[in-house]
Amino acid sequence: MTRHALSMVLSNVPGALARVVVLFSTRGVDVESLSLDPTERGDVSRMDVVVGLPAGRSPDQLVKQLSRLVDVKSVVAVADPARDQIGA
Amino acid sequence: MDTVTGASSLVRALEDAGCEVIFGIPGGAILPAYDPLLDSMKIRHVLVRHEQGAGHAASGYAQATGRVGVCVATSGPGATNLVTPLADAYMDSVPIVAITGQVSRSVIGTDAFQEADIRSISLPITKHAFQVTDPADIPAVIAEAFALAAGGRPGPVLVDIPKDVLAATTTYTPAPPVRNPRVTPAANEIRRAANLIASSRRPVFYIGGGVVRAGAAAELRTLAERTGIPVVTTLMARGAFPDSHRQHLGMPGMHGTVPAVAALQQADLLIALGTRFDDRVTGVLELFAPNAAVIHADIDPAEISKNRKADVPIVGDCKDVLVSLNAAVRRAPVLTSWWAYLDGLRDRFPLGYDWPADGKLAPQYVIERIGTLVGPEAIYTAGVGQHQMWAAQYVGYERPGSFINSGGLGTMGFAVPAAMGAQCGVPDRAVWAIDGDGCFQMTNQELVTCALENIPIKVAIINNGNLGMVRQWQNLFYRGRYSNTGLSTHQRVPDFVALAEALGCVGLRCAEKSEVDDVIMRAMEVRDRPVVVDFVVGEDAQVWPMVAAGTGNDEIMTVRGIKPLFDEDL
Ligand SMILES: Cc1ncc(C[n+]2csc(CCOP(=O)(O)OP(=O)(O)O)c2C)c(N)n1
Ligand SMILES: [Mg+2]
Repeated sequence: MTRHALSMVLSNVPGALARVVVLFSTRGVDVESLSLDPTERGDVSRMDVVVGLPAGRSPDQLVKQLSRLVDVKSVVAVADPARDQIGA
Repeated sequence: MDTVTGASSLVRALEDAGCEVIFGIPGGAILPAYDPLLDSMKIRHVLVRHEQGAGHAASGYAQATGRVGVCVATSGPGATNLVTPLADAYMDSVPIVAITGQVSRSVIGTDAFQEADIRSISLPITKHAFQVTDPADIPAVIAEAFALAAGGRPGPVLVDIPKDVLAATTTYTPAPPVRNPRVTPAANEIRRAANLIASSRRPVFYIGGGVVRAGAAAELRTLAERTGIPVVTTLMARGAFPDSHRQHLGMPGMHGTVPAVAALQQADLLIALGTRFDDRVTGVLELFAPNAAVIHADIDPAEISKNRKADVPIVGDCKDVLVSLNAAVRRAPVLTSWWAYLDGLRDRFPLGYDWPADGKLAPQYVIERIGTLVGPEAIYTAGVGQHQMWAAQYVGYERPGSFINSGGLGTMGFAVPAAMGAQCGVPDRAVWAIDGDGCFQMTNQELVTCALENIPIKVAIINNGNLGMVRQWQNLFYRGRYSNTGLSTHQRVPDFVALAEALGCVGLRCAEKSEVDDVIMRAMEVRDRPVVVDFVVGEDAQVWPMVAAGTGNDEIMTVRGIKPLFDEDL
């Protein structure tokens, strides 16, 4: 498992969070922490999530899969927050 | 701005989106929508007999016409019956819009009668799902649903509408056109690709369904002919490049031709267009095309480097990519020895089959004759199993979109409803469903729809008495222990001819080689009703070549135990 932090902007509409979470479960992504906060704009929320990926899977791939979602307005993998391997 | 009901607004929005046919079944929650539908001059509603049929019909329509297919179901069981076709369309990137009724807003979440949370159920199998909570949003949501389904990488979109939203009074404001942004293929990657192509020695075009979806067959042909590079077409791309073309090596993958599989394995360059390196094509990934550099173009960036790392990633619509490549490729590679090798394989390992030892009809022969007599202008659909693979191998496809099948999900029962949908979209073409005796029993009720709605499809049941593909695996991998794969269809339970007649079709039967052509011609002559032909074929025929699951492509077997690429030094 490798650990990665993602920062996303989500539309503030019903079902947006569900779609993101289901994508994690469909793609075998381990969610370690997740926080969702309103933004000043109101129509979007900010989501920060730390995920674990099976060895050999790149966060790029996950970022691209998340980008396909209509309600994901932006997603970036943020620089490694001084955490590397989980378990190992 | 007119005052209308939500239901009228829905019908107008569908008309404005260009919808000309809907496949569906009414029920309580969707009932308001069926009232204005009765008055629509632009939309034909085809009353199916099962919602699964509605979904696959929408898919067949979409694949035959290149337009968005539409299906409608009521809440609860109507909606859940759409799950399989939604998943199917998602896997094969087919643009369909599914409209479902929902219980009224005030009771959502209370386990009301016929309430199912279809939006959540369909999360992993739709591009997007809307639930309309304000009737004024209907026109914009429908316009967006159509644009989403067709735009980028196509796929299914769900629109769930509560009954009271349909019944409410609202205003109709035509939605402004939704534009799908189109990415231009990156010039530097196109240049790198062109250079790789020019300097390659053993290149191959590995063509997927994306080329069909993009309508890029002509551009592919131009580039292929200018460069002289061999072409393989996957199950989803059959017809994207003419089978009769000298540069076509056939289908790669688990049941691909030896030359197509060998071309990928021996290549020094894969030019992969609109394809996703599916496991049925690659075999064991680590052993796939070990010495090849990879140019991978796809409209979906998430597919690039998903399974195989691309050396040159190109994000873009296959048509745009091919146009750019055609402009950038100035020099054709020298391929004399590559073609000598591939032509040698073509000579030594052509597709072929043996006649059954028990004197029964060879299924491959039946399918070959259908392809020859019905011809390349027709549309062929298939179910899932041995007959599907033979339909991919033994019909000659010359046009993109002429073979419609369930590639990604492998959905038994796809053939008949998909043929129905295709025929609605292209009434002037012959549409033949090549189906299995097992598959046919999953969705044949749609023949009633076809009979009543004047949709004169032909169905060729390749009746081998068994769930043949499963039986083949039992033969090869379970020591011939045939657990639960016999269907008793050779004992005429059901009697497919009698069943066909009961469903309002013409039923024909053929069990002799000498009668095959005659029965196909007779089927072709019937124009006022659907036709079902029960082709009684041997039960032991197997699909060859085969790359067994869990092995590398080099271990392709032309028949049991014979591995030409593995055993010999070619
Ligand atoms: C809905 C569904 N259920 C089960 C399967 C597994 N399966 C794949 S092929 C096959 C046999 C199909 O039998 P038939 O339609 O007679 O085709 P044949 O292989 O005999 O040509 C089965 C059961 C499937 N693909 N889809
Ligand atoms: Mg069968």
